[in-house]
Amino acid sequence: MKISFPYMGTTILYKKLLEILGHEVIMPPRPTRKTFDLGVKYSPEFACFPLKVITGTYIEALEKGAEVLVTSGGHGPCRAGFYHEVHERVLKNIGYDNEIIVFDALKDNFFKVLSSFFKIKANNSFAKVKEAIKTVYKMSYSLDKLEKEVTKRRAYEVTKGEFTTAWRKIKELYDNKVFTSEDVEKVELEAYELLNSIKIKEIPEQEKIRIGIVGEIYVVMEPSVNMEIEETLNSLGVEVERSQYLSEWIEFTLVPSRYSKSHEYEILKKADKWLEIGIGGHAKQSVGFIVDFYDRGFDGIIQLMPFGCLPELVAQSIIPKMSNELGIPVLSLSIDEQTGNANVQTRLEAFLDLVKSIKFEKQNKSNIISLQDIISRNRIANRTKEGIL
Amino acid sequence: MKIGIPRALLYYYYSPFWKTFFEELGIEMVISPKTSKAILDKGIKESVPEICVPIKIFNGHVVTLLEKDVDYVLIPRMVSIKKGEFFCPKFMGLPDIVRHSIPNAEDKILYPQIKTNSDNLAKATDILQLAEPLGLSYSELKSALKKAGKEWARFNKICKKGYLIPEANKLMQEKLVKAAPRSGDITIGLLGYVYNVYDEFVSMNVYKRLQDLNVNLVTFEMIRNKDINKYLKKMPKRLFWTFSNKLMGAGHYLNNNPGIDGIIHLSAFVCGPDSMLGQVLESETQKTKKPFMTVRVDEHTGENHLITRIEAFADMIRNSKKKRRWA
Repeated sequence: MKISFPYMGTTILYKKLLEILGHEVIMPPRPTRKTFDLGVKYSPEFACFPLKVITGTYIEALEKGAEVLVTSGGHGPCRAGFYHEVHERVLKNIGYDNEIIVFDALKDNFFKVLSSFFKIKANNSFAKVKEAIKTVYKMSYSLDKLEKEVTKRRAYEVTKGEFTTAWRKIKELYDNKVFTSEDVEKVELEAYELLNSIKIKEIPEQEKIRIGIVGEIYVVMEPSVNMEIEETLNSLGVEVERSQYLSEWIEFTLVPSRYSKSHEYEILKKADKWLEIGIGGHAKQSVGFIVDFYDRGFDGIIQLMPFGCLPELVAQSIIPKMSNELGIPVLSLSIDEQTGNANVQTRLEAFLDLVKSIKFEKQNKSNIISLQDIISRNRIANRTKEGIL
Repeated sequence: MKIGIPRALLYYYYSPFWKTFFEELGIEMVISPKTSKAILDKGIKESVPEICVPIKIFNGHVVTLLEKDVDYVLIPRMVSIKKGEFFCPKFMGLPDIVRHSIPNAEDKILYPQIKTNSDNLAKATDILQLAEPLGLSYSELKSALKKAGKEWARFNKICKKGYLIPEANKLMQEKLVKAAPRSGDITIGLLGYVYNVYDEFVSMNVYKRLQDLNVNLVTFEMIRNKDINKYLKKMPKRLFWTFSNKLMGAGHYLNNNPGIDGIIHLSAFVCGPDSMLGQVLESETQKTKKPFMTVRVDEHTGENHLITRIEAFADMIRNSKKKRRWA
């Protein structure tokens, strides 16, 4: 069975899982302009941008010879849970009659999930499936840890592009060398060696700028869709961390809440003041992460969302007040097929200027205060010397 | 005490309910005036630019009410009125949008959570939590709820007899309501959310204009729940949004009903649920060759374009009907 899937984030994870189970994987190509155009051509006009990109990806994967597509489902109220229904119709209209295997939430449609599971399981023993899942689970944590390291250190690289190349090499390493869960640790050491060998500039701690990225999961996680925002920010000398990582998503969505050690439950608690209930998608997480990033001393937040995204629009409505009350600058960027690189670049640069000026103003203010302190202290000292006090 | 009710979103569907509820409690109700350019502009000022026009209008109504010195504005948090289905995320987060984006709204809004399993809100027990801010007892609220539920059920029944919501509102006083007269020569299904169809400003009076063209109208409120659900049950995966599902079921019903000559889908620009619903309706109507048109409205829509389109649509249906008769 030749299997393919939507392209999001570190795609080697899905590839690995399916490969360990003995399926032939047709790697979907990284989304490009052509993918967007294909998606826009065949998807409903007002569908959200991720749906369009995935339509394009599916078509490209099917052209490459994929027979079956695997995707996740959902139970609303965000549109994403209905994607596969629309995709099935769209693909049928173009003339592809391929099967789409959907993984809905277990509690929504138990039997369908079970049958999807058995389709993927094929002839493998349960033990092997367990091992495959364990490997991928471990791998996701390890890769995300490394990626966080990359988006942090890349801001200070001496030679431009070294970390990006290293990150690509690391993904290849995992792809070629990890076959069981024990391999993960070995490869991780190797990857760290690679990262440590890259020269970075020494920057004093108070001059470092940290930006948190929050928003809708697809546009946050997929660099080809968000115009490599992390790399762009890094190249402007800024550290970046995202709200969404694949390992977090697995921990929160797939692991039953009783066993889950997900950080996201705390995040949701932090959002309670602003958004009282979960409204689907990742709106509440976005709001919670803004508070979280603020608590951790980040200097600015960027909210990414597809144009017209239902849950993120609610978050966006709340953000101006949050930004005011917390005193942290937030930039909202909505992304669709018409978003231009230059536009985003300009807005990011302007935003960073703002962030920097706020940060340094704050620091200078505290400097002034301490200067005054010193002066007054000196005065007191002098007066005591002169015997006035 | 004065309670403000914004004349927007689900007001059109639930106005008899809230009216009876507050009348029973002896609380004065201030309903914002009909949507106008001024109200919309107020709303646009307080909303994020990308959000759909119904929400902008809603914000405008809230601002208008706050200017009017009401004690509270009622903004129910619509979560679910059917098991396994929700409202659009914007409805679920509406009180949060309002309290964080409109100045001075924070402690002036009441937002009981509506989470029940029937269209009739009488069983939404969270409404009882209003007792404290209103300064009344639970039992008073309970009996008012019951009465309001009864009134709403009667209103819903009148709609099912073939009346549009404004017509049904007028008929509420009468004891016996006959089935609606059908005088037009063609029948068109008008699919759209109540806040788009009945807001005369944003829809530019589309239903009255159609009626003036001698067209009989069928909307989702007129179709029996049984008929709507019949088609929904056949779907492999239903939509998540209750009213979108109603439109979907109604759309399927109208599409397979030979008495219906055409379907108009009225939708707001960037409406998320409609982007999915519209795609399904379009492909289904193509199969049955039923005339189908999508009309998209927002704050910039011109009136002439709308008139031209609906006139052309009605003419086209009449012509093809004539041709069929002579053929």
